[in-house]
Amino acid sequence: MRKKRVLIVDDNFAVRSMVRQVFELEPDFEISGEAENGRDAIQKAENLKPDLVILDLSMPVMSGLDAAPRLKQLLPGVRIILFTVEESNELDRLARAGGINAVVAKREAASKLVPQAHALLASIDQADGADALRSAS
Amino acid sequence: MTAQETPRSPKTTYSWQREVEAALIEGDPKTLRQRVDAAEAALFLRSQALAGSALTHPEQQAISAAVRTLRTIQRDKLGYPRLSNLE
Repeated sequence: MRKKRVLIVDDNFAVRSMVRQVFELEPDFEISGEAENGRDAIQKAENLKPDLVILDLSMPVMSGLDAAPRLKQLLPGVRIILFTVEESNELDRLARAGGINAVVAKREAASKLVPQAHALLASIDQADGADALRSAS
Repeated sequence: MTAQETPRSPKTTYSWQREVEAALIEGDPKTLRQRVDAAEAALFLRSQALAGSALTHPEQQAISAAVRTLRTIQRDKLGYPRLSNLE
């Protein structure tokens, strides 16, 4: 099974670096790139075609909430995790409406980010398997 | 109860407070982004250590307040876009 490509989007270098380190420890993932804001993410996603985007909420130029629907339009199969310090039901609602698959609080990065990524990408493998079966039949 | 969990008096400070205050008082627009990023990183690292604690933990609440302050600086002084439906 191929490694899943991850695009890390955060305006803070320290956060990007930490997320990169976390995913580099995981054999199922490879970091395909980093972006500093929503617009940068859209431009890079077009070339990098990530399976998963770890997306910050508050960024210069374009926020995560504004970037998410455009990323989904560009790459309909991409999974997006909103990785944010903000936590509220309203944010969860807006995130879902924007095509974001999951919201992970930054304070819970160590315990929840990678498990959530695995859960979302398992759904890609299931979809790929279903496609393969359809092609074969 | 550990020292980190002990409720703080108004005079005591948290480990990340210096970075947040540096961002608050920074007058040079060219340096402000660096100060805000450093404060965010300090808050992020500290919040990892507090991950198991409730959102009502005093330091967790102080971190949330500091994050809101940094958001205001980012929006008003650094030109970050408004999070229209959340603000």
